Amino acid sequence: MSVDDQPGLYVESTIIMTTVRVVAPFVLTFALFIMFHGADSPGGGFQGGVIAGSVVLMLAFAYGIESTRQWLDVRVVVALAAGGVLTFASIGLGTIVLGGQFLQYTEYEVFLSHASKYGIELVELGIGAIVASVAIGLFFLLAAGFGHVVDEEGEA
Amino acid sequence: MIEHLPVLLVVLPIVGGTVPLVASLFTDRAGWPVATLTVFVHAVLAGLLGWTVWTEGVVSYAVGGFAAPYGIELVVDGLSASVVVLVGVVALGVLAYARHAGPHSNAFYSQYLLLVTGLTGMTVTGDVFNLYVFLEITGLAAYGLVASGREASSAVAALKYLIIGTVGASLYLLGVGYALAATGTLNMTDLADKLAAVGYDSTLVLTAFGLMVGGLTVKVALFPLHTWQPDAYANAPDSVSAFISALVSTVSAYALARLLFSVFTVEFLEAVPGARWALLTLASVSIVAGSALAVSQNSVQRMLAYSSVSQFGLVIAGFTVATPIAVVGATVHLLGHAVMKGGLFAASGVIERETGATTVGGYAGMAARAPVAAGSFAVLALAMVGVPPAVGFVGKWYIVVGAVEAGVWPVVAVLLASTLLTLAYFARLVERLYFAEPTIREEAAVADGGASVSTGMIAVVVVAAVLAVALTAAVPALEQVLEQTLPPLLNQ
Repeated sequence: MSVDDQPGLYVESTIIMTTVRVVAPFVLTFALFIMFHGADSPGGGFQGGVIAGSVVLMLAFAYGIESTRQWLDVRVVVALAAGGVLTFASIGLGTIVLGGQFLQYTEYEVFLSHASKYGIELVELGIGAIVASVAIGLFFLLAAGFGHVVDEEGEA
Repeated sequence: MIEHLPVLLVVLPIVGGTVPLVASLFTDRAGWPVATLTVFVHAVLAGLLGWTVWTEGVVSYAVGGFAAPYGIELVVDGLSASVVVLVGVVALGVLAYARHAGPHSNAFYSQYLLLVTGLTGMTVTGDVFNLYVFLEITGLAAYGLVASGREASSAVAALKYLIIGTVGASLYLLGVGYALAATGTLNMTDLADKLAAVGYDSTLVLTAFGLMVGGLTVKVALFPLHTWQPDAYANAPDSVSAFISALVSTVSAYALARLLFSVFTVEFLEAVPGARWALLTLASVSIVAGSALAVSQNSVQRMLAYSSVSQFGLVIAGFTVATPIAVVGATVHLLGHAVMKGGLFAASGVIERETGATTVGGYAGMAARAPVAAGSFAVLALAMVGVPPAVGFVGKWYIVVGAVEAGVWPVVAVLLASTLLTLAYFARLVERLYFAEPTIREEAAVADGGASVSTGMIAVVVVAAVLAVALTAAVPALEQVLEQTLPPLLNQ
């Protein structure tokens, strides 16, 4: 609706598109860097997730919100959110199965050296996926305006 | 397996919450069955945990195997076990109501499970920062649920709730920061020792108390900080009103009690009479003002909402008086109020669907048209007033006895007055329901109604009414389990 009402909002600019195309991979890499460093330095899933989500926001500004929405299937966003939660939960529950406490990473040491570190990093990646998908989902919901049914208002 | 119960209770609903989200890619109606299955298992596990605490005493759990005070500890004693069981049971009951009453979207049930997660987490945690995290989860899920109503007013109410609720949670977090600065620890048991060592008159400790308690009173909705609450309760869909009125403020009040007894301890209240009187005054003002506002309401749901402001004043007064019997009374009233208020909101939803009546005037003569719902409403209302043998009577009686023992006479006067005030607004409604001429004509109601009522909805209302009376029988057991698991408090 907002797209029809305000046709002048999106400007197809070569400068913006080129810049975004160059910058986006670096931003995504930086997001992963922040997520992987959550275990031993400032950073982590929340901050990294927001940066990863901002990549999609940039793409939307450069190539138009509607086309980005079509390009990024809703299934991807849902899979990221649910997958993140399930990753976190299964790592936590896995240690219970192995006989430890919830999230007792040291239980994985028998399979893998430095399991604590990898465990924490996987959890951070899971959190990052959740945060990124929620940021993307909120952005698309807000961009869609209020013309659609108000039923899904509080999603995510 | 048993020893992992506290953490499983938190993980289960959050994992369950992702399923409707994924399922929404394939079908629109997967939410209810998934939520019901999850909450059913949750309730069974909660019961099991309650049983464990009953037989073996306090259960504690070190998340990640990091020993307290360094890791996050989950602690379940008699108080938290009873609240966890309440959360499980009420969540299941509201689902029976929501099956027909809606909302039906998958997103709604994801949020519902998220709210169950937050509430359970707040109840079982033994760490003040962890409590903040779950407070936020509870808050965010509750804002979303309030906004799931179809009218624009739900969205406005949710926005108001969000802004005020966030301020409350932030105050609490700030207080946690002060406590951390004073002691260097976040574990509740550890904090209790270290706060005593720092000294109760230290500015840091006093500031931490003020901010943490102040933040939680926003969430509990005591008088001057209650402004989000009537809008949120009255504008949310019926299922959501019943759920959040029964649980969200209840669990926040539990958290406040947890802070008073496990973090700051009764010694703090004795050493700093100013803090105690401030809280008692806030609670007393809340009792009187909430009742007065309830009397002046025309909409039944807003009246019920203001009634909560008053009843939570009562609960907090009981906890702050802090004699053993007052604490038992406050706990009984906390749990009883949840059942009664949830039941009242559910009953008001049924009456609205059957007759179209939403106001005090509209309720006139509706007992004939919605006999079961009106009967349950009357029972619940009288239970809330405190007519024996209902559970409302036991709770209030214990609180008053505790206040008399402690010799806080102004509070005793307010408590007794509160019963009369409660009678003032509920007796008016019950009288209208049964002894007044209908003001809504039958044809008008049928023409404008069309929302049907299911057996499940009626059953929930009736069960709540029965529980409001039957729970009295459980009071001795509750008293016993509190005495066993809160010894430092109850053997002073």
